[in-house]
Amino acid sequence: MAIIEVKNLSKTFRVKLKEKGLKGSLKAIFKPKYKVVKAVKNINFEVEKGEMIAFIGPNGAGKSTTIKMLTGILYPDKGDVKVLDIDPKKERKKLAYNIGTVFGQKEQLWTHLTPYDNFKFFGAIYDIPESRVEKKIEELKELFELEEFINTPVRNLSLGQRIRCEIVASLIHEPKVLFLDEPTIGLDPVVKENIRSLIKRMNKEYKTTIFLTSHDVGDIEKLCKRVIIINNGQVVLDDSMENLKYHYLNKKIVEAKMKEKVNLDDEEGITILKDKGYNLKIEVDTQKRSVADALKLLNPDNIVDINISNMPLEEIISNIYKDEAGK
Amino acid sequence: MLTAVKNQLKITLLTIKFALMREMLNKVTFVTNIIFMILNNASFIVQWIVLYSLKDNVGGYTFNQVLLLWGIAAGTYGVSRFFFKKAFSLAETINNGKLDSFLVQPKNVLLSVITTDVEPSAIGDILYAYIMLFIYGFSIEKFLLFTLFIFTGGFMLTAIAVILGSLSFWFNKTDMIADVGNSLTTNFATYPDGIFKGVVKGILYTIIPVGMINYIPIKILTEFNLGLTIAVLGFTIFMIALAFFVFFKGLKKYSSSNLMIARL
Amino acid sequence: MRKYLFIFKSELMSNLQYVFDIFVGFIGYFIMLFILFNLWEYMYSDPSELINGYTMSQMTWYVIVTEILWMTLGGRKLCRKICNDVRGGNIAYNINKPYSYIGYSLFSHLGGIALKGLIYTILGMIMGFCFLGEFPTINIFSIVAVLITGILATIISILLITFIGLFSFIIEDANPFYWLYSKFILVLGTIFPIEYFPAVMQPILTFSPIYVVSYGPAKLFVDFSWSNFLSVLIAQIIYVIIGYLLCTLIYKKGVKNLNVNGG
Repeated sequence: MAIIEVKNLSKTFRVKLKEKGLKGSLKAIFKPKYKVVKAVKNINFEVEKGEMIAFIGPNGAGKSTTIKMLTGILYPDKGDVKVLDIDPKKERKKLAYNIGTVFGQKEQLWTHLTPYDNFKFFGAIYDIPESRVEKKIEELKELFELEEFINTPVRNLSLGQRIRCEIVASLIHEPKVLFLDEPTIGLDPVVKENIRSLIKRMNKEYKTTIFLTSHDVGDIEKLCKRVIIINNGQVVLDDSMENLKYHYLNKKIVEAKMKEKVNLDDEEGITILKDKGYNLKIEVDTQKRSVADALKLLNPDNIVDINISNMPLEEIISNIYKDEAGK
Repeated sequence: MLTAVKNQLKITLLTIKFALMREMLNKVTFVTNIIFMILNNASFIVQWIVLYSLKDNVGGYTFNQVLLLWGIAAGTYGVSRFFFKKAFSLAETINNGKLDSFLVQPKNVLLSVITTDVEPSAIGDILYAYIMLFIYGFSIEKFLLFTLFIFTGGFMLTAIAVILGSLSFWFNKTDMIADVGNSLTTNFATYPDGIFKGVVKGILYTIIPVGMINYIPIKILTEFNLGLTIAVLGFTIFMIALAFFVFFKGLKKYSSSNLMIARL
Repeated sequence: MRKYLFIFKSELMSNLQYVFDIFVGFIGYFIMLFILFNLWEYMYSDPSELINGYTMSQMTWYVIVTEILWMTLGGRKLCRKICNDVRGGNIAYNINKPYSYIGYSLFSHLGGIALKGLIYTILGMIMGFCFLGEFPTINIFSIVAVLITGILATIISILLITFIGLFSFIIEDANPFYWLYSKFILVLGTIFPIEYFPAVMQPILTFSPIYVVSYGPAKLFVDFSWSNFLSVLIAQIIYVIIGYLLCTLIYKKGVKNLNVNGG
């Protein structure tokens, strides 16, 4: 059974337009002009139990709008949402007991209290008996390595420590689905890595379904097995991470440093990305041309150094965005 | 059902306690705020000393009753601003998409939002209210009734603020209108109702329910009347229900932080 | 002087977009005056009665004028801004500018409130006429006189509040001092004319800022006389000079300390 079901989901906003100057502001008062923005258009997808899914797209693509409809923050205009078989529109509170949310840019913790007191507060919000809260805090403290600062007021914690506490706070009530919106935003690489491995561990330990949005390709690549890409309010790709990579893996990037200048032109299956005389960067479409072929064109005797790599995920995704925009 | 109410109450009180703790981090500012508010309220006595030097009776009130009127006005104001400070900036909360974090919690959104901050100076108002009661004349019965009325009145002021703030779900630029509306009740609350006539008096017992918040409690405190007491309680419940109704009706229009203003 | 007029003008222009807010704010003013009108109607048993030398109509017009002056002023905002300038170091940034901070603060604030003052004055007059059905006895000269003293009153208020705000050089937070000042003006200078207070207090009030920032213009509006105009005007000019000197003095002293401390 699918744990998240989204059918024909749509949401429209009326955005107020404002003209410049005094006349504009007067007009805005008496005759406001609106622009209808279709943030989400007829989206469909399903998520299975225990999945870790990446929900990505450029700014303004409709990511947050969708996640907000899934968590009961926004009312959809059209379509159906079922999370754990609960309709967020009708049973917001019931849903809230069963899901957890971490919005990287929005803090839900009291900054003058310690993480421990905050966790107890969240325990009370979810009506969990005192003894069970204690046990749960103890358990999560181990898992997320909070011993050091569990009794330090949140305002004195580093950003990374805070995010860890935010995640723990949203896990106190053992949610079956966890929504993470940009959880690693603004963190340094080491802390990012740490948060990722913790999320992974949590998914393994509790079989929590994870719904992640992020701009950070690292987050997506390291955590998720499935990717949904959304652009202009529509799903443009819903595929496994492997397929996504495979689909674009037939393209190889060859970077070579040459002894002598080579003159190459674009031809079937080969695209010149950069040509600086001695330094070359070409893209080879392996469905049309083998890598060996391409190397022959370069004359192997002339190669000083060579690096053949897959296309980075970052580029794959931005290519998909661009393809969509071009359509 | 009963446990749900109990749990909700527990969270509400815990939220207020934590918000108060936050304000008390800076003790000097905290105490100064309270003292200044008491002095602030006290300064207005000058106006009434001057007025009562001209006449023994202003709008059907003796000087002592005016002090009691100020007590009720300060008390209701204090209760609403202390416990429900955020109700008075609800429009801003809605416009900035700050309801999100409350919407993902399994508790009443409205209660969670409005209790999430306290106003320390409002403690000064509440203290001032009781000082006025003591000057007017203390008895256990009056103390209990007075306490009841500053809470019913405080709830009604909060309900008005919630209704005005909820307008932001539908319309733009209503935050200023909400501010004006909220100060309206306070302005009327500090003058005896006897100076108003006709239609205005009618409005003060209905649309701007200053009558229910201030004037009737004064009557009851002067001479107890069960019927009027029940009327005040009934109207309080009605106002609270109306506030919840309007807020949750509007919540369906909530657009989180997606409602930005595009400039041409 | 031209640069100050420019500061005034640009502040004024940038405030044009808040016309709506000013109108909404006027509702609050209207309600307050409505209550006070009802109060005076109640206090006077018949309109021809005199209390402390004022008719009912004069009392209402008196409050209309003092409240316009008070509500237009925006004193709390000004004091807060100056405190922030001092504490936030904005003042250090102003030292090298080719204008005086006092002049800048005065003209930019005047520019900020001019539109509000104009709208409140026009609407206030209409409102008063609707309440009372009459204006006080006025003529062209008295109107000009009231306008001059009204503008001078606002300038004095701004200077005095700037002075209070600049106290932040000496103490941590000058806002409580503003609070005391505003209570003084509001309670003793806005609702009642000086004649309403006990005889012992009257000379004190006459020499206090109340006489020049609220009583003066309002009294001239409800009961004009040339001798009164002259004494208000002279008092106001003295206050402008004193106010400006006080501001300059505390500013110079404060900036000097700032330099010693290295900004």
